[in-house]
Amino acid sequence: MSEGLLASLSRRVLSGLLTAWAAVSLTFFALRIGAGDPVASLLSQGLATPAQAEALRHDLGLDRPLAIQYLDFLGNLVRGDIGTSIYTGRPVATIIGEQLPATAELAASGLAIAAALGLGLGVLAAWSGRKPAGRLSAGLANLATSLPVAFIGILAILGYSLVNRALPGGAPSAVRHLLLPALVLGFASSGAIARVVQFGLTESLQAPYVLAARARGLAPGLRLLWHALRPVLPPVISLGALEAAYLFGGTVVTETVFSRPGLGRLLVSAILQGDYPIAQGLVALAALFYTASHLLADGAAMALDPRLRRQA
Amino acid sequence: MKAGPIEILSGVWLAAVVLVAILAPTLAQHDPTQPVGPALTAPGARAGLGTDALGRDVWSRLAWGGRLSLSASLVAAALTIAIGGIAGLAAAVLGGWPERIVLWGANAMLAVPGLLLALLLVAGLGTGLPAVILSVGLGGAPGFARLARTAFLQALEGGYVDAAVALGAGKTRIAARHLLPNARATLLSLATTHFAWAFMGTTTLAFLGLAGDPSTPEWGAMLNAGSGTLLDAPWLALFPGLAISLTIVSIHNLGEHLARKGLPSSARLT
Repeated sequence: MSEGLLASLSRRVLSGLLTAWAAVSLTFFALRIGAGDPVASLLSQGLATPAQAEALRHDLGLDRPLAIQYLDFLGNLVRGDIGTSIYTGRPVATIIGEQLPATAELAASGLAIAAALGLGLGVLAAWSGRKPAGRLSAGLANLATSLPVAFIGILAILGYSLVNRALPGGAPSAVRHLLLPALVLGFASSGAIARVVQFGLTESLQAPYVLAARARGLAPGLRLLWHALRPVLPPVISLGALEAAYLFGGTVVTETVFSRPGLGRLLVSAILQGDYPIAQGLVALAALFYTASHLLADGAAMALDPRLRRQA
Repeated sequence: MKAGPIEILSGVWLAAVVLVAILAPTLAQHDPTQPVGPALTAPGARAGLGTDALGRDVWSRLAWGGRLSLSASLVAAALTIAIGGIAGLAAAVLGGWPERIVLWGANAMLAVPGLLLALLLVAGLGTGLPAVILSVGLGGAPGFARLARTAFLQALEGGYVDAAVALGAGKTRIAARHLLPNARATLLSLATTHFAWAFMGTTTLAFLGLAGDPSTPEWGAMLNAGSGTLLDAPWLALFPGLAISLTIVSIHNLGEHLARKGLPSSARLT
């Protein structure tokens, strides 16, 4: 590893942390200024007496100036303390920790499906061009980007219930609870990947080095495909990282459609209840995850494409 | 560039949606919030498109719902385009620290994925349709600002800008007379993409139950309500789901058509 690479990596880590800090601060002020007093909503719902509300306000530090609250919040965040839920009084970290595995499982399987499906559709669309297979793949990729996740999910449930009725004894429950939601999430995220692969590959199939390889006698087949596909992969990996972060948004809808537990539904219920520490913790997590996945993608892209290493 | 059958179908669908939205008060025979008969009647000749779980007329709800979904997303998209466009224009024309502030702010906001950003804004603004519109509109602004800046920077490259500067034109004049007209085609296709995004965003937030009163007819909320009776009355989810999907796909198709039309004829592929 050269000096230059190390310096560029640390610069990226620093700018990533700055971005995460900005996103978290934005959330803090948006929630404090916009949402009003969360304790007041407890009061109005008759969930607390005025004396309890006052005590809670003091516990949460809401009776102090906003700037002090902000510094407190940042200090606690650095120490890994992201507060307690207003409704249950339990630590936000514990609540998030309970729901994290379900979402991680869904998001990881969704991402794997998105990558496989996106690569497959993209390669097919570029390779077969105007033939029916190519047109079908390009059309599917287009649908994947424009259909709402909620509707894809509902169609999937309907299709599944038809198949389930036809199968003797029904399908295994893992299909309903993991495979189906992951397929929906994966399909929805595959469209963007497929389009980048399609455009990149269409271009690189006509690039001089591919022509040269064909002139040397490399027949149109898997080896030629790999030759043309390699330079297309770095942007696909960057996009994959972006999709990984965006999957977090997709899981919100998928978890609601399939009534699956997880961070997405936790966020929606926290918003509906005005439980801002939970919302804040989830956004901080999402911003950190986004930053980390970008760094990983940059590293992977540099490993795949030597040209990027020199630029860095 | 001539419009193909897909573009024509997309245009016809969108025109129909807009027409129904405008004429909803006359086209809908029933009050969309009041029961008109037994619950869960299947679509048929007598009951029109059937009734929902509370016995309300589905056709009336769809017509009024389209009116609400369409106008909500139009307002949201207008917000996105106004805020993002002005920020992008300022960044491109002024350069220096205004540009750095816009880019830095946009990047920070984009570190929170789109839907999550809108959700977060709803958390700050409270639930209900106005909050949803504002959240979706603000949520789209950073992305639009970044892309609009790029479009304006490309328009700045033209020799006509150098000529105008040489003639002594100020920044405002260059922005109004040269940048806006020359970036128009790109901005128009960006605007359609963001309108589709706003439509998706508002209906998705409504689907998640964040648009307030569930009895209000709105396509996303109807999709959610329909998903509860999916196996007994699939049409209750299929109608609004199809309506949302067709609308988004149509906006995308027309947007791509506009983008291709905006290119000089030599750059057109087909």
